[in-house]
Amino acid sequence: MKRSALRLAPYPVLVADTHGVVRFLNDTASALLPHARPGADVTRAVPGWLASAHQNLSAVPVGSPTGPGSAEPEPSVSPAVRGEIGERSFEAHPTCEVTGEVVWWLVDDTDHLLAREALRMERERTAFLGDASNALLSSLNLARCTAMTARLAAGHLADAALVIEPPVGRGLVMVSCTRDGEPVRRQVGVGPDLVPGLPEALQGFPPVPARWIDPAAAPAWIVPEGFGTVGSIVVTPLPGHGVSAGALVLLRGAGQAPFTENEEVFARLFAARAGAALSAARLYEEQSSITETLMRELLPPVLHDVSGVEFAGAYRPAADSERVGGDFYDVHPAPADSEGQESLVILGDVCGKGLEAAVLTGKIRNTLHALLPMADDHQRVLSLLNGALLNSHHTRFATLVLASAVRHAGSVRLRLTSAGHPAPLIVRGDGQVEEVGTHGTLVGALPEAPAVTVEATLAPGESCVLFSDGITEARGGPLGDDQYGDDRLRSALSECAGMPAAAVVEHIQMLASQWVRGGRHDDMAVVAITAPRNNHLSAVGGRGPGRFTA
Amino acid sequence: MTTMPPAGLLLTVSLTDAHTVCVGIEGDLDYDSSQQLLDETREQLSRHPGTRQLRLDCSRLGTCDSMGLATLLAVHRATGAAGVRLHLDGRPASLERVLRLTGTLDHLTDPQAGAGSVLTEEPRPLVRPDRQDTP
Repeated sequence: MKRSALRLAPYPVLVADTHGVVRFLNDTASALLPHARPGADVTRAVPGWLASAHQNLSAVPVGSPTGPGSAEPEPSVSPAVRGEIGERSFEAHPTCEVTGEVVWWLVDDTDHLLAREALRMERERTAFLGDASNALLSSLNLARCTAMTARLAAGHLADAALVIEPPVGRGLVMVSCTRDGEPVRRQVGVGPDLVPGLPEALQGFPPVPARWIDPAAAPAWIVPEGFGTVGSIVVTPLPGHGVSAGALVLLRGAGQAPFTENEEVFARLFAARAGAALSAARLYEEQSSITETLMRELLPPVLHDVSGVEFAGAYRPAADSERVGGDFYDVHPAPADSEGQESLVILGDVCGKGLEAAVLTGKIRNTLHALLPMADDHQRVLSLLNGALLNSHHTRFATLVLASAVRHAGSVRLRLTSAGHPAPLIVRGDGQVEEVGTHGTLVGALPEAPAVTVEATLAPGESCVLFSDGITEARGGPLGDDQYGDDRLRSALSECAGMPAAAVVEHIQMLASQWVRGGRHDDMAVVAITAPRNNHLSAVGGRGPGRFTA
Repeated sequence: MTTMPPAGLLLTVSLTDAHTVCVGIEGDLDYDSSQQLLDETREQLSRHPGTRQLRLDCSRLGTCDSMGLATLLAVHRATGAAGVRLHLDGRPASLERVLRLTGTLDHLTDPQAGAGSVLTEEPRPLVRPDRQDTP
């Protein structure tokens, strides 16, 4: 090949002969190889890997036929070799001339190699981040999420990782995990101030970058048990939804390379995902704890017998996943030592559903509890309740039945008042079902809530049943869309003559549930007030407080 | 003029004369749909300030649950505040039954109750008959 062509070649080019002497090199090659010049020995002029490649190539007989049928010797190309010149990586492509000289074309592939390595790492990281997100978002359990964050970080980012929870009160709670180890939850009684960068990371705002800290300056509790000597430590915030989800501390052992800037960026990417997952888990945990607290207050009470009157109640909320809905009932028993005092039963239905309905329910139950001393005047109780609930923002209302019950000479005396609620039904001893003639206005929406109070008496074995319209309006049956209705309820109740209160309630609840099967239904509440069937105790002469069996 | 919401409630608004807005209700008034009726009422009242009567045609009303009733009470409150009389025309038996049961029929259909805000109305005398035993 013409030397002039080689001189203008865009790559460094070096020509050496079979004796290992440099014959030619272009300007680019001179700049790259300062010791090389024509006439110099290759072993001195170029790095060892290239010199030995040249010697190997020169040992092959010159101009050997490259294939069958080639009569004339022709220039041939041999496989490239790779090595470093200075700080860069080169591919050296040899072309053997017929004269035995070898032309070395040097191609700088440093950037190519770097790009390939970067791509490989980036792919690995993307795959890891994807896996991490899947693992973290599959659980809304905060403890599991925290442990998972520590385990993933220790496995992929560092030799050990510490997830420090946002501080609540004094001290710090953290989960630490070493590579291949199990996450361990620990608590230390110190504040975050002793670790540089940790208070800022835990504060969440303003966002702070990951921060290096001197291993010697770090407190002993930051190092997991059995970790050995710490080489480097990085503190990264775990950003949550507007608030901090904690901080991530990454540790590497003394023998390991410290964190590069690139790794630090990657740690922040991981921290962003982990923070989002932790924050979601924390929000969910807070919400479910609030719901739990509310529900504990709002769940219907367990009813039992009071002073010779049987009470039983059952409640089935509209959605089985919600344990609290728009229906409620309460029994406020008469004081134990007060002969002839009434117990007050309340069964009601508030408009709407879900948490809003539950909150209104709570308000009504509390107000009624406070109004107990006035329970001898149902109208007054309803008027005061109405006034307490009335507001100008909405017309959410409640309908309810008040029932005051007291044992009197073997039977139970009742005073019943309906405030816009389906009237109670009384099951007589012969199975006849009577509707109590009380009616009135709902509470909470109109300026007044007038209502009619009606008295009734239950003979032993007779029951008064309070219920919500969720029972009568339950849709189902053979055709799937019929209402359970008043008539079916009455005929079901007529079979309950002489039954104890708990059995009456269970019977109605069971029939209504069978009616709707799995279908949609409103809240269903039933309360039964029953005069027990029992015998006079002859030993006490049938008079005085102990004259009936309980 | 007709609005066609995506849900099962269809409201048809028409003006019979300069002082009367009629709203035909077709479908169920329930938890999911009832807010539409209140919004529509408020809009009509603000758009036609000269209105003296609002007639709700209930003849094609399906079920009306407790939220539906709460909405009717809210509509009544809104018309009362605007000095507009509310009429519930063509009430089906089911609606009539709900209104009677909850003691709201007189309130919603009382010609006097339309005047003034519900919270500033003069209290009506309490119904307080003597207690009596059931038969």
